Amino acid sequence: MSKNLSELSGRKGVEENLFDKMGKLAIETGAPSEEDLETLANEFLIGKSTAFGTTTFYDFLKPENKGKKAYACNGSACLCAGTQPAVIAQLKTKFKAEEIGHMTCLGRCHENSAFYYNGTNYSGNSIKNIDEIVTNKSQKIDSYHCEAVGNVVLTETYEGLANHYAPFKSALKKDPTKILEEIKTSGIRGRGGAGFPMGSKLEFCKNVDNETKFIICNADEGDPGAYSDRYLLEQRPHSVLFGMMISGYVTGASWGILYIRAEYPESVAIIENAIQELRDADLIGENIDESGFNFDLKVIQAQGSYICGEETALINSIEGQRPEVRVRPPYPAVQGLFNKPTVVNNVETLAAVHFIIKNGGSAYAEIGTGKSTGTKLICLDSFFNRPGVYEIEMGVSLNSVINDLGQGFKEPVKALHIGGPLGGIVPEKKFGDLTIDFESFSTNGFLLGHASVVSIPETFPMIEYLEHLFDFASYESCGKCFPCRLGTKRGQELMTKAITGEHKIDRYLLEDLLHTLEVGSLCAHGGGIPLPIKNTLAYFDDELSDYFAN
Amino acid sequence: MNKTAYINDRLYELNTGETILSFVKRHMNDKAIPTLCDAPNLDPFGACRVCSVDVAMEAGGKTKTLASCHTPVSENSYIYTDTDNIHRLRKNIIELVLTDHPLDCLTCEVNGNCELQDVAAQVGIRDVRYPAGDNHLHYEKDKSHPYMTSDLSKCINCYRCVRACDEVQGEFILSMSGRGFDSKIIKGLDNSFMDSDCVSCGACAQACPTSAISDVFQSKSVTSAEKTRTICTYCGVGCNLEVSTKNGEILSIQAPYEAEANQGHTCLKGRYAFKFYNHPDRLKSPMIKKNGKLEEVSWEEVYNHLAQKFTSIKKEHGPDAIAGISSARTPNEENYLMQKFMRAVIGTNNIDCCARVCHSPTALGMQRTFGTGAATNSIEDLDHTDCILICGANPTDAHPVTGARIKQTAMKGATLIVIDPRRIELAKYAQHHLQLRPGTNVALLNMMMYYIFSAGLEDKEFLDKRCEDHEMLREKILGLDIDEMEQITGVEKEKVKAAAIAYASANAAMEFHGLGVTEQSQGTFTVMQLADLAMITGNIGKKGAGVNPLRGQNNVQGAADMGAQPHQGAGYHDVTDPILNERYNTFYGTKVPQHIGYKIPEMFNAAINGDLKSMWIIGEDVVQTDPNTNKVMKALSSLDMLVVQELFMTETAKMADVLLPGASFLEKSGTFTNGERRIQKVQQVVEPIKGTKSDGQIIIDVMNRMGYQQPDYTPDGVLAEISQIVPFFAGVTWNNLGENGKQWPVAKDGTDSKMIHIEEFKRGKGKLYYFDFKESPEIEEHGKDYPYIITTNRELEHYNCGAMTRRTGNVELLTEDVLLIHPNDAKANHIEDGDMVCVESPRGKVDIKSFVTNEVKPGILSSTFHFPEVMLNIITSDVTDTEALCPEYKVVSCRIRKSKGKYKSV
Repeated sequence: MSKNLSELSGRKGVEENLFDKMGKLAIETGAPSEEDLETLANEFLIGKSTAFGTTTFYDFLKPENKGKKAYACNGSACLCAGTQPAVIAQLKTKFKAEEIGHMTCLGRCHENSAFYYNGTNYSGNSIKNIDEIVTNKSQKIDSYHCEAVGNVVLTETYEGLANHYAPFKSALKKDPTKILEEIKTSGIRGRGGAGFPMGSKLEFCKNVDNETKFIICNADEGDPGAYSDRYLLEQRPHSVLFGMMISGYVTGASWGILYIRAEYPESVAIIENAIQELRDADLIGENIDESGFNFDLKVIQAQGSYICGEETALINSIEGQRPEVRVRPPYPAVQGLFNKPTVVNNVETLAAVHFIIKNGGSAYAEIGTGKSTGTKLICLDSFFNRPGVYEIEMGVSLNSVINDLGQGFKEPVKALHIGGPLGGIVPEKKFGDLTIDFESFSTNGFLLGHASVVSIPETFPMIEYLEHLFDFASYESCGKCFPCRLGTKRGQELMTKAITGEHKIDRYLLEDLLHTLEVGSLCAHGGGIPLPIKNTLAYFDDELSDYFAN
Repeated sequence: MNKTAYINDRLYELNTGETILSFVKRHMNDKAIPTLCDAPNLDPFGACRVCSVDVAMEAGGKTKTLASCHTPVSENSYIYTDTDNIHRLRKNIIELVLTDHPLDCLTCEVNGNCELQDVAAQVGIRDVRYPAGDNHLHYEKDKSHPYMTSDLSKCINCYRCVRACDEVQGEFILSMSGRGFDSKIIKGLDNSFMDSDCVSCGACAQACPTSAISDVFQSKSVTSAEKTRTICTYCGVGCNLEVSTKNGEILSIQAPYEAEANQGHTCLKGRYAFKFYNHPDRLKSPMIKKNGKLEEVSWEEVYNHLAQKFTSIKKEHGPDAIAGISSARTPNEENYLMQKFMRAVIGTNNIDCCARVCHSPTALGMQRTFGTGAATNSIEDLDHTDCILICGANPTDAHPVTGARIKQTAMKGATLIVIDPRRIELAKYAQHHLQLRPGTNVALLNMMMYYIFSAGLEDKEFLDKRCEDHEMLREKILGLDIDEMEQITGVEKEKVKAAAIAYASANAAMEFHGLGVTEQSQGTFTVMQLADLAMITGNIGKKGAGVNPLRGQNNVQGAADMGAQPHQGAGYHDVTDPILNERYNTFYGTKVPQHIGYKIPEMFNAAINGDLKSMWIIGEDVVQTDPNTNKVMKALSSLDMLVVQELFMTETAKMADVLLPGASFLEKSGTFTNGERRIQKVQQVVEPIKGTKSDGQIIIDVMNRMGYQQPDYTPDGVLAEISQIVPFFAGVTWNNLGENGKQWPVAKDGTDSKMIHIEEFKRGKGKLYYFDFKESPEIEEHGKDYPYIITTNRELEHYNCGAMTRRTGNVELLTEDVLLIHPNDAKANHIEDGDMVCVESPRGKVDIKSFVTNEVKPGILSSTFHFPEVMLNIITSDVTDTEALCPEYKVVSCRIRKSKGKYKSV
């Protein structure tokens, strides 16, 4: 990160956003032209290398993206489902091979066969209608099962703008400290994966003396297998925005930025529409409801990079810097976006705030396990008999999720990959040991993460899943820290060479590599990838032993 | 009780906020923790992770592995730098690095001085266990540039170059492209060094731990046997340089990180433009003009000739028929000797130096207002300022290291105000750019003061306590017709108002000014207004504030301090004062004249009139760089004897009757005084090249030859003499200057001064002055017939007449002088970019290539005089500052047309 670039980018404010402009310059051809980059560099005084360096980082801005017309999903769920070779074959009937790109997880894990064309995502049977899609631009509404078990927090029915924002209006009449107390009382922990208490984060930021502060909604739900944030963005947009507005009021921030992944075009449109509703109702802007509180919202569309889900990379991304992970300290709450105090929260965390403000922090704290309060969204993939998004109270057993909610598997599944690519691989024999909460997962050697669930069927070779994980980690590594940049690549090569028979894996070397990644990496990307790999080595030794030299 | 923490179970004191790395390094040693991405002048980055250590929060507690470079030490924590876990981690990281690094150490440029090699040895790496995989060993070398090179196959992606370009130079030429395993260092839009906008400062090459980015001098190779620390000759920043030599030849130059003046940074002139020193063009023998032709003679002959000629001229026409121009590029000691020669040996006050044509108004103006003609504060005050006002200076080109620091400060959020007719580099970063018509500084600064007084933003307490005449100033200023001022300056009054309020509202505001202030007919007055501005806002005597002239040549401050000026002797003593005169008489042991001598422009007039018969000019190409070339040449050719002491056959040297081959800064010792009054040691790096002598010794030889006893030149000896006559050098000795020098005034006990006028001004109370704007006579007389204004400037790559820089690789980077012209003016005159343009003034005309740009406003032109091929000073005028006689290079009336032929009438 560069403090200078943060400052220079910030000089233009949120309205004239550098990264936003880079994205817009790529719309026509898939990547900004050199002339455009030069103009941007001069406008923002950031140097041509910064403009070029930033754009080449992203899947949808880099020069290689020029001319791409359709993208096939290559996320874990679609991979395990084995649907993508057929999707690509179908796409090839309409596009040249070089016109077809990849997107890593379109969040259509409930039915797979996912692809993106012309600003819209498709999945399930849609690929069969590729002719019609290309000619008539027809759109199929995505639908999946959605259900809450127990207390309803995140999936509560939306009751219209006035009712929904009534608690916000009354909050504006109270001291922000009081509101913060409610959030702290609720015990809510961040749903992005790390589980950090939201109240503390807000409090750090609130306590920093600065005229300019930012609230960022991390809607870069990149975990393959996860589509719960997409659900909230598209089905409960006002819960997310409500949470941001309250966060702004508590901390004294006057801008809320939603950083939404490019792979979710529908989410961007829906959120923008919701923001317009707020603007029309004077619920955002200057002096909201005569309270003296100013707050505005802006959507910034991501451009294809998993690492941007890491909060400091995300901040760099919004600034138009290369989204490389920053060192901490300084923490974003002290020095974040444009070097100003910033709170970054996950979509699901923010969406829970409505319940907390409406019903009080203790009402929320009563739900769940005590250490893990509240409810959690969990999404099940197409291997379940009833895929979909479920809201459950923290502490529900995994078996109940599999059997009661998912209604069992369609075909034999040997492991679940829970919590995204950096989450643990839970073998079938461990299903009965787990409950859905932070503590249960970590004490058993797994990670709740964002609680996405990808099923690995009996038929899928674990060595290929390991190759896929290393490949994903390497492809999405920002490249800043040595262990991750080099280690994930070498890991992938070890797996690939083992599969082809070219080179058997040196177990000690792999252990050294996993140690280096785990303790040496700058962020949870490199640091997290060893977990599923170690789980696999531990639970699938029989299946893998042939690939090892020792 | 101080805070403590444990390192390997031993207790140590910690500084609040320090990182584990600095804590451990401080208490153990620099190599206690290996690092690759950390560098002394860069922010912690956390890329290599080699610096990881284990940390427990209690004795015997569970340890966590943390990168020491960016993790603050926790109080009472237990840090373990060398556990098995850490060993394993470091070794395995280096093993990974070596999977993508050529193993050709023995033939590598940095063999023996490679940080990767050192760390690999330190962690004990023996083999690479990974099967051969993808790598980047195929990247090709970039040899496009005269100085910078890259070989990215050697790159370990530590980002030190990218960060140096950003955090040190502030240029953003370097970045990374792609991501993950394939991320790669880029220059600009993935161009070569030559095709990028690189300013060749070399910070990246110095920062790179391997040979991935380097320079043609291979400055990180260890082939050099010796390193000498000295001071750069190229501007008033006073960069410390570490020069590597082998067998008496200079190999390369780096910037020492611990140098206070430049903190490990320098520019392409300091770092790379040294090859002039042994260029074949160097003058290698004294010469005397015989039968109209310069002929090589022995030193013996030239000394006899000089002694005899000076004596006879003095006898026949009196001592005032002889004048000297000392060189602000030479050390204090040599300037002192030259003025002593003129005053004590010849017996005249006809001594001046190039400060006359650059900062004489600064010295005079600041003396009148504050009592001292020097910067009030230090460059390090930039770390404490929240507003910077730059008036008539272009630091990123002319004082690049200070320019870079100003840019860094601005990018960290300080308010930047630029007053300049050109949209200079820093103007792009400025919140307020007041792009005034050249020659209207006085009107503009009056507007600034008007808005400060109108808003009641003056510092009343400071004015009451420390200044005089403020009611007068206030009254005059508030009586101004602001609309008229707006008309004169061409700057909208609202813009001036905003800038004035920003300046006056800052907690600490710092002024910098340059030749755009001084080289004008109201130059001294403008300096005094800048002093007014600082005083009325209380910006004197505190950190992060002050009036800070950016001195042009490396030792302009020193040359004036040493008395190389006709009205003040060594230590600024008034030559007309009988008591001070007596002091000089006693000290020099001769009678020193009591009447003021000629200033440089007066010397030329006197020569033309026949009053002046001889001049001795040291290291100054007055033909190419003084205004109105034809007149200068006429003056020089009117002399009976022109003595020129030079490195090269400059335009002035060509006219000499006697030519003395001097030595460059790399070949001699002495002291330079930089723009913040810092007296620093210039230390001889190599012997003077064969046939040349140090300039100080030449002067001494002539002194002795003329019967004045002066001991042979030693820097410590002359400095000891200086410290007895210059009051503010009282405590300076060669030995106590140390590595970083001392900022004068230096008290007897050696205490120096980062800031002056803290409690009271040198002159007691600060004196405020008011001045009416007065149009330059140049515009009054010629403005109608010559409607364009050309204002001269400098470019980064070249230094003054270019005699040195044109004999280095810099000439490949900037090959010629060009004329900056606004697109509208170009169009109106049917001039296309790159066309030759004839620029004509009442003095003459020159042909120069156009560069069409928005950097200048319509009606305004700008150019440089680095190249004798153009000789821009043919067109500049005789108008000077009314007080200090500094020539008005910045306001020249001219007309233009697309050129038909070549008009260089020399």
